[in-house]
Amino acid sequence: MNKVDTAASSTVIKNFFSQTIVLAQRSLVSELRQLATVLPGLLFPLLLAFTYTEQFERVLSLPGFPEVDSFLDFLLPATVLQMVSFGASNSGTELALDIENGFMDRLLASPVARVPVLIGRVAGSALLAGIKTVIIVLVFLIAGAQVSSGFAGFVVLTLSACLLVVVIGGLSQILAIRSGSQEVVGATFPLIFVMIFMSSAFFPTELMSGWFKRLAEFNPLTWVIDPLRRLMIVGWSWSDAVTALGILLLGAVLVTGGSVLTLNKKLGRP
Amino acid sequence: MKTVIETRDLVRKFGEIVAVDGIDLSVSEGEVFGFLGPNGAGKSTAIRMLTTLLHPTSGEIYVSGFNVVTEAADVRKVIGVALQDAAIDPLMTANELIRLQAVLHGISRSEAKKKGGELLERVGLSGAAARRVSTYSGGMRRRLDLALSLIHEPRILFLDEPTTGLDPTSREALWDEVKRLNTELGTTVFLTTQYLEEADQLAHKIAIIDAGRIVRQGIPKELKENISSPTLRVDVEELDLIRAQDVLDSFGDRRPAREGRAAVGLDGGATRLAEVIRALDEAGISVEHLELDAPSLDDVFADATGRRLEGVEEGNE
Repeated sequence: MNKVDTAASSTVIKNFFSQTIVLAQRSLVSELRQLATVLPGLLFPLLLAFTYTEQFERVLSLPGFPEVDSFLDFLLPATVLQMVSFGASNSGTELALDIENGFMDRLLASPVARVPVLIGRVAGSALLAGIKTVIIVLVFLIAGAQVSSGFAGFVVLTLSACLLVVVIGGLSQILAIRSGSQEVVGATFPLIFVMIFMSSAFFPTELMSGWFKRLAEFNPLTWVIDPLRRLMIVGWSWSDAVTALGILLLGAVLVTGGSVLTLNKKLGRP
Repeated sequence: MKTVIETRDLVRKFGEIVAVDGIDLSVSEGEVFGFLGPNGAGKSTAIRMLTTLLHPTSGEIYVSGFNVVTEAADVRKVIGVALQDAAIDPLMTANELIRLQAVLHGISRSEAKKKGGELLERVGLSGAAARRVSTYSGGMRRRLDLALSLIHEPRILFLDEPTTGLDPTSREALWDEVKRLNTELGTTVFLTTQYLEEADQLAHKIAIIDAGRIVRQGIPKELKENISSPTLRVDVEELDLIRAQDVLDSFGDRRPAREGRAAVGLDGGATRLAEVIRALDEAGISVEHLELDAPSLDDVFADATGRRLEGVEEGNE
């Protein structure tokens, strides 16, 4: 590569990052300016967690249930995931809105690369999810929950929340690009919600039976929730941390790649 | 003069529907080019292809010498685009949008601030720059949209129906700005419109599109001159309409008219007006209203398509 090429490619990389940052900023700012849509996503999972804790405190004594002081300890990862599912499908609906009202055209008619357009939006939501995770953990700690793996576990939980936003947000973006309609994207939210219930989020798979157990074991959310929960209630383990983050990272990469391909296909198709 | 926009046999299909059906365009540097046609004629589809947002089904497009499909990235650097409906995030302020647009074009923060300030000043939005766009009127949004499309000083500006839905004052303000851009900075402007007056006011050259095909292309004055005779339009009582048209037909070629009206291309022009009135009178037809117009772009459109654009336009207002 000669000097000119090197300079050109460093400009490209610089632009790539500044474009991603400015688009992430936009997504974060617009979410914060619509607090009415952000707050329920934080409050509802918390409310659900405390209701469950009151209602199901006695399941702790079931033989085979993990040893925890409070059902709240058990629920922390599920609550964070639920919060994420609320926020993440927002990236899809917002993208669909951009497509519907033409803002997307403004982006695509400028020299911006496709990737920043897509990850910029999810990155903003991911950051917001990170902040919300901190809030949820603080509320749980105040309510008496414990994080056995300490600060390291807390960091893994927060990063997991951010990555899960990228996965769910990316999936809803794929749907947004394909359908170009907010309603379609919005209509899939209950699906994610149900997927959380069909995982080990609120109940350990060991205590399930039959087809539901197999379904829950097959649910990728279970693969992430289980190691995260062990970090919360058992203690620090490198393998749990790497498993949770690794699965999510892989998902994030695949989904982001998929959404870029979908966008390219959509634009290129004659 | 150098050709900066060129299409060759451009076709775009959506399934069975042919939205753009083999158009050839040529726009010279420094020109304001008007793409005139009714709703659904294929204007927006064409402009989306010209601005890299949609691939053509077949045919070629060159903008500033770059192939729009294979060299899209180069095209995007030299064009400014303001598409229909002024797509602006209502939650953001004008300042934030200017900054966003600048970063998308790789313009430094300090330069963006300086140039953004100038642009907002120019379109009369300095006072509202820190306000969220949701508080803007339609005219303000269009002007902001124009300012955004100019941040990187594009040599070629694409405007898709820039004044549709605007009140007359806002419309004229936007026209002035487009004229200024063209005369002061030499920016080439490609604009689509369904307004005859807009094409007449702004465009050096126009192409009339109907059902995906270009039906006339050229300098507005010449196009109008090619329709030799002025149009005479007569309003009569409904019962007399058919007979009135018969009388008019003997004075020249029939011209399409709005419902309830008879019209003719009056051979010989105004000098024969008295004769027409006499003939109508002799046939026992009372004339309610009568007008004689020099050929307009609407006549050019009617001559090419057999329909009027003006009625369509009114219907959309």
